Formats: sequence, structure tokens, C-alpha cells
Amino acid sequence: MKNLKLTKGLVALTSAALVAVFTVAMPTVARAADGCVDTTILSGIKVVDIQRCTGTDMNKSKYETIMPVKFNGTLMVYSHGIRYNVNLPAIPVVAPKGSLIDYSAAVSPSEEVTAALLAQGFALAGSGVQTQGWNLEESVDAALQVLTIARDQYPKINKVVAWGNSLGGLAAQALAEQLPGAIDAAAPMCIADSAQAEITMAGDFLWGMKTLFNPAIKGTNYSAGQAGYVEMLTDLGTVLTTLGALSAAISANPVAPAWPATTKVPAALQAIPMRSAVLLLGLISGIATQSNTYDASSGPVGPLETSFGLAISPALAVLENGAQAAILAVIANYDMEIRYGGVVFDNSKTDYAKRLGDDADIFAAALTGKSSTAGMLAYLSPFNPAAPRVTSNPVAVAKMNSVYQLQGKIEVPTIQISATADHITPPGAAQYLIDQYEASVANLAARSGKLLTIWNKPADSYTEFSSAGKPITPTVTTNGTNHCNYTTSQILAVAKLAASAAKTGKLPSSSAVKAAIKNEPNLFINPNYTPPLLKFRQ
Amino acid sequence: MIRNKSMKRASLASAVIAAGALVLSTLPAQAATPGVSATEIKLGISSPLTGSAGVAYGKVPGAMKAYFNYINANGGVNGRKITLISRDDKYLPTLAATQTTNLILKDNVFALVGALGTATHSKAYKAAALAKNNVPDLFVNTGFSGFGDTTKYPTTFTVLPSYAMEAKIMSKFIKEKFTGQAVALIAQDDEFGIDGVNGFKAGALTLASTTLYPQSSLTDARAKALLTGLSAIPGKPVLVMFGTTDVTAGILKAAESLDLVSKFTWIAGSVGGDANTLLALGVKATTLNGVVAASFFPDAKDKSDEYVSQFMTINEKYNKGVTFDNVVLQGMNSAMLTVQALRAAGKNLTRAGLISAIESKGAKFAGAGLVPLNYSATSRIGYNGYWFGQLNASGELKPYGGTLAIFTTDSGAGAIEASTYKRPTMPKNGIPTNS
Repeated sequence: MKNLKLTKGLVALTSAALVAVFTVAMPTVARAADGCVDTTILSGIKVVDIQRCTGTDMNKSKYETIMPVKFNGTLMVYSHGIRYNVNLPAIPVVAPKGSLIDYSAAVSPSEEVTAALLAQGFALAGSGVQTQGWNLEESVDAALQVLTIARDQYPKINKVVAWGNSLGGLAAQALAEQLPGAIDAAAPMCIADSAQAEITMAGDFLWGMKTLFNPAIKGTNYSAGQAGYVEMLTDLGTVLTTLGALSAAISANPVAPAWPATTKVPAALQAIPMRSAVLLLGLISGIATQSNTYDASSGPVGPLETSFGLAISPALAVLENGAQAAILAVIANYDMEIRYGGVVFDNSKTDYAKRLGDDADIFAAALTGKSSTAGMLAYLSPFNPAAPRVTSNPVAVAKMNSVYQLQGKIEVPTIQISATADHITPPGAAQYLIDQYEASVANLAARSGKLLTIWNKPADSYTEFSSAGKPITPTVTTNGTNHCNYTTSQILAVAKLAASAAKTGKLPSSSAVKAAIKNEPNLFINPNYTPPLLKFRQ
Repeated sequence: MIRNKSMKRASLASAVIAAGALVLSTLPAQAATPGVSATEIKLGISSPLTGSAGVAYGKVPGAMKAYFNYINANGGVNGRKITLISRDDKYLPTLAATQTTNLILKDNVFALVGALGTATHSKAYKAAALAKNNVPDLFVNTGFSGFGDTTKYPTTFTVLPSYAMEAKIMSKFIKEKFTGQAVALIAQDDEFGIDGVNGFKAGALTLASTTLYPQSSLTDARAKALLTGLSAIPGKPVLVMFGTTDVTAGILKAAESLDLVSKFTWIAGSVGGDANTLLALGVKATTLNGVVAASFFPDAKDKSDEYVSQFMTINEKYNKGVTFDNVVLQGMNSAMLTVQALRAAGKNLTRAGLISAIESKGAKFAGAGLVPLNYSATSRIGYNGYWFGQLNASGELKPYGGTLAIFTTDSGAGAIEASTYKRPTMPKNGIPTNS
């Protein structure tokens, strides 16, 4: 999934920019020729001799294999995360230069990782599926096909690791569960939950934005054809404008930010600081309360030193995180409605008070007290005609859910990594795999000792403030926050542990794991750490 | 060299390689109890050391360390020295979760002691997986009755009486001592205050006014506006301040500023009634004089009390430069309870054993509290009663009406009863010898 730089763009957003959205020409890309080439790459100062092959598979998906001359016997088959399945003109924040659907093959999360793994003798393979968006089936099939192609090309491959990011992590795991004999180990990173669980999280936040801040947001039920495309683009603009208004209001008065002019909530509700409503949306959706900029703990020197971390920072974190969730919800809803033939998001029976749960107490101060919380929840109630709920198309939902759902039937050693403040695939998605696996073990459908989870958390505190007391957005995205935001060394640690497991058929020993992550202060292993599942599953 | 390769149709069958015999493998189990060696027991505390709450409660870890150091200097517990690792959570839920996780994973502590705050600790408890890790969570400084739910908090023991207990007993006290006066309540708008509101309901106290404010929101301007409004209540209303010490101080200072001190009969809840802290926060001694406060401890200035006297002596040597007050008393008392719990768990110290020891023997532990300890297999709430006193200009809390009257109750609908409880005598030299 794209890493959207929201904060910098929001404030600059103007209606003029939105007009420009619809007038900028689409960019173009060239298509590469298929075949193999012997070449070199640089990994640091090391020159690595490789053979790089490209082609298309039976679904016409692009694939790529890279074999180092000094091969260590293990192939890493990578599945990339979700990409937009729609061309976008230039849209501030979302696609500043415009974007075309990206069909390119990917063999690892980054070029740096690619070079480092090749330098260590690993062969790499990966695809770019022909139909982008949420396409788990083709992603699994593409991984299997490129694996087969690589084996045919290079019979010296004797071990295979399936790995991937986000939706690609889910694909790697789905492949491992369905065809455990095809691979020797799996390494899902920032694994996504099911389509329904993910769209529920993003959709809840988007619905909340619409209901509390701007009813002009459509959110779901886009029209067919070109009209729907325009509706989706218009929605992106509306969402961005609304986010910009929220951000500006909080920036102007973080203690008691005003509600946007577009809101239709009663004046009594607007007496509650708007930041509390933003936080509430995050909590009921399951959006992380720590983000790239905001750690929900630090405060500027002065009168807000404590109260900023207590009452303001968590809301700003939700805004920073939720902005990306809302944008994704617009694009993903549009894509899924076309793909599955109807509305897939549904909150017709959602009990948001129950969703809030203990967070009502934990974040009582930031929510401006329990009375305010009760007032906001009452407004979001299904009995409030001013807050109409969304009912899905059951046929579309059934089609969405007809794809493989994780069972936790793990037979090959599996090492997953998940960040505690990932706002797109929260750690609860990894926890769901753990739960499914433990249930499978209990039911004798899987053997114990096959799953290791490595957690990635942000530093204890990291928000920086200017001398004027303003939060500073980091130039390097804070590790442990954002989506699939791992460092190269963290990814390599996971990859090497998975490769080791592929060779032995066992998870690495505790001491080996500790040694592998000893220089990674943000990684930890605690078999008892249990983050909450995505709200859809609670 | 460029070679064109035709795509072979991939079939699932050709791709599937027969899975070899699966080998059962597990990560090695932890051999030893975390945080316990032949010579040391590592304990951890996450609490506010800085920030606004740090001013009021920042002395707790230091007081506990002082007592543990005193015990260490006298042989430790079953030959083991106690090390207390303290982390600052600023009274912020997210930071408390982080620091508690650090105590478990980085510091490898055996148990937690004296964590402070409700929102902070409930978030920390989940985040650090204390239940799954079976980490004893001892003597938490909160009165939130929800921590008594052993399903959600199976390893937790709180030390304070619940806020609901306090409000119930306070209801009885107000009805008996201030008959005919209107009563106004100012409470924090979270589980702390709501627990209290529920207690006042259970105590059948009629409230002329209830004001709930979110934590950290009662600024000086809001406090003044609130008092100005409440001053319209005829007569001399009883004003109950059921919040933290910094808020009590803010309200009293606002009253000073508005010249409304004499308008109200002031009652401070136990959380916000420490005289030393109130004075340190700028409340005038003349304002404090006559304020009614709830407590389950002896007054920290009462040197005739054997516990206070002993703890003062320890404080002078092991906590140099720190003024002895109710917070220090509370910290040392929790430390002494901890030592007794560790002793009761025996030489073969395990987490499960420690929890079991408190359940079976905790009600008999010696402690400074003037009310009973309530630990059992079914109760995780510590002290279960209160007495009421009046502060004088020196900040001393003297029994209201000159006679100490202790009442006990539960967090639910149970009766409020006068108690004749006599606490255990202070162990010789303040060093427990229980088993």
C-alpha cells in the first residue's frame, strides 16, 4: 500500500488544487521486454553478479526472477502489497504527480533489501498481478507460478521461502496454508486481515468522518461507469478538504479545536473539542493512537507538557493515521464495489459503544470525559436518523468472502513481523493468525511450534517539538508506526531467520532469534503479547 | 546474454513438493522464574515521577526503595536483596503501557508493585500482557473497583479502598454530620469519578449539584466559574472534591481568590487530600484549616503512631532529604506489604506462589492502615474502610469530633458498618518476620 505523506500536504490543500485534480493529464509508462540478462548490482560497495529474468505468467502478470551467481540454495518468493486498481490524476497527498495502475513485478520490499539478499546468495522472485486492488487469489497464484518458473529455470533451488508485505503477507500465508509442500518456510510481514475486516476498519473511520464532520462525503455505493469514477475522485477531494479543515483547526487551537463548517452535528455536541470526536472515531475503528509524528506521551515544554500527551496527542495521531485509512477506504470501496458487484462495507448493526469498550475509560480525558463520550456515541447510534447507517449488498459480501480465509493450518515454519502502531494492518491482524494457529493446534489440525511472531514497536517517546512548541513531523518515518514501515536491517533479520527455518524445518532457537534481533531495539518477542483483534473480529 | 523463456503452464500438482516429515519444534521454555536469582528479586513500578501528577505522587517509588533498602541492609527476604526498578509514566496511559512493557521485557522484573492510576494501569495491564505472563501486580494505587474483577485482572491486588467504598462511607458521614446542608460534588469524569458517583448513589446521599470534569481540564478559570455558580446555593453547602490533589489545590486556590473559602464546608477525598502536597501546591494554611478529609491511614504527622514513627526513622536514613508525608507513608506501607508477601511465598519464589500467598495470608499482613485488609481468594481490593478527620493549619489530620471512628463497607450494596478493627502491631524494627 502506498505510504501517503499526509501532514505536509494537508495544510497546503486548496480548492484550486482540487480543481486541478480533474484537469491534469495522465502520466505514461514504458513496457519492458521479457527475457533474461546477466548483469550486476551493487550492494553497498559489493558488486554482485546476477541473472535477471522477466516475463509474464499464465494470467499475463509480470514476473521477475533474480539469481545470483553465488547462490546459497534458497529462493525467496515475494508478494507485494495492495496497489491502487485505478488510475489517478494528480491529487495532492494521494498522488501528487498522478499515478497509473502499477503492474510491475516486485521481488522484495525495497531495492536495498533486494541488493542485500542477493549479496548474501539468495535468489529472489516476485510478480505484479494483472488485476490490482484487493486480489488475493491472483496474488497467491502469481507467487505459485513464479515459484514454479524459478524452479524450472534453476533446478539448484532446494529451499523456498514465501514472504510478502500486507496483502502480500496474507498471500504468502494463504499459499503456505493451502500448499505447504510448495514451500519450506513463510514470512508474512505486516500481514493484512481479511478484506471484510480491513474494509470495516477503514470504512468505519470514513463513515464517522462523513457523519460527524462532512455529510458531503459519499463513502460507499458509487455509481457504475464514468460517473462512479468521478464520484470517487470527488470524494477524495472532499475527504482531503475535510481532513485539512480538521488539521488546521487543531493546529490553531489544540486544546479546544472548533468543528469544521461542514459539520451538521448539533451545537451541544460541537461544545466538545473536535479532537475528542476524531479520537473517538479512531478508537471505534481500531486506528492506532500512535503515529509517525505523535507518540501519545510527549508534550512541549510549558503548560501543555502533560496534557498534550494525555488529551491532544492521541487525537492527532488518529488524524494522521486515519487520513490514510479514509483515503484508502474511498479507493478500496470504489474498487471492491466494482469487483464484487455492490456495497461491501456494512455498519447497519454495529454497536460502536461496544467497540469503544475499555478505551472509554483509558482515554476518558482525551475524550473529554465519559459524559461527552456518551453524547458522541448517542449521535452515532443507529437510532439517530441524522447518522444513517450503511447496509451492504449480501451477494457482494459473499463474493468478497468467497476467497480463501486464513485457517491457521501452519505446517512449515512461519515467522511473521507486525508493528504495534501500523494503521493499515494493525497488529491485531497478526494476532488473528496466532489465534487461528493456536485453534488449529488445539484441534490437531496443525502442529505446535511452527509460528514465531516478532513485534515492532516505536521508541518509548519520539515526538519532537519546535522551540515554539509545535510538533515536528520527522523526516524519516518513525519506525514502529505507519504501514509496513520496517528498516532494511529488520526485514533482513526476518528474511534470514525464515531462510534458516526453511533449511532446518524448525523455528530458530530462542537464542538464535535473540541474536538476530539484538541490534534492533524496536523489535521484541513476547509470546504472551496480545494486541486487540481488528474491530470486525471483536 | 539474453535468453527468451517461454512460460510453462503452472499446475498446482507440479508445484507441490511432498512435505517432509514435520518435526515438532518449540522455542525452549523459560527455565527460571523471571527476575529472581539466588541473591536478588527484581520488582518494577511504573508511576508518575514528572508532570503534574509527579508533583503529588512522585515520592512513591523513592519511599518504596527506601524501605526495600532498609530490608536489604537487614538481610533481605530469604537471603535475596530487593531491587526496585522505577519508570516514569507521567500519569499518561500510553506511556504507562510502554513503561510497563519495558519493565517486563527489558528489565525482566519478577512482579510489579505500586503502579499508580486507573486509566494508566488498565491500559498497561493489557499492553504488557500481565495476565498471560502471570505477572503479580501488587498493591496498585487506585481505588477503581473494576480492578477487583479477577476475570479481567487475574494477577492484580489493589491497596486503596475502592472509590465506591469511600463515597458510600462519605455519604453516611455527611448525612450524620452535616444534616440540612446542601451537598455539591465535583468529580473527575472517568471511572474514578463515576465509581464515586455510584458510591454516593449507593450511600443514598442527595446531591444538589454534580459536576464532572475530564482529567486535566479544570483550569483556574473553570474552577472559578464553577465555584461562582455553586456559591449561589443557599446556606453553607458541603463541597465534596473527589479528584486528584492538583485539582483539589486548584479549587481551593480559586476559592481563596474569590473569597469563597468560608462559603463552603470543604471535604477532600482521600486521593486529593494530602495536606503537604496541597501546601506545596500553594494552598494557604488558613484555607486548609478545617477542611474535612477521608483517610484509611494514620496521619503522617502523628509521631505517636508506631508505624509512622518507624517509617519516619527509615525515611531519614534511606530517603534523605525527602519530607515524610502521606505519600511517603503510603509508599513505605506498600513496600512493607510487599516484603510480607514475598516472605509468605517462601524461598521457592514463583509468580503463582506469590499470588497464592497474598490470597491466603494477605488479610493478616501488618500494615499502617487503620482499617482491615481484605485480601482473600475472592477479594483483590486491599483496605476496605475509612475514617474522617479535619486538617488544621499545620496540615495535621485530626479525627473529626475528636474521636476516631472507622467504618467499613464493600463496593456494592453492602452495609456501612462501624468497625472495631485493631491493626497488627508494627513488626519489631519494622522488619517483618512472617512466613
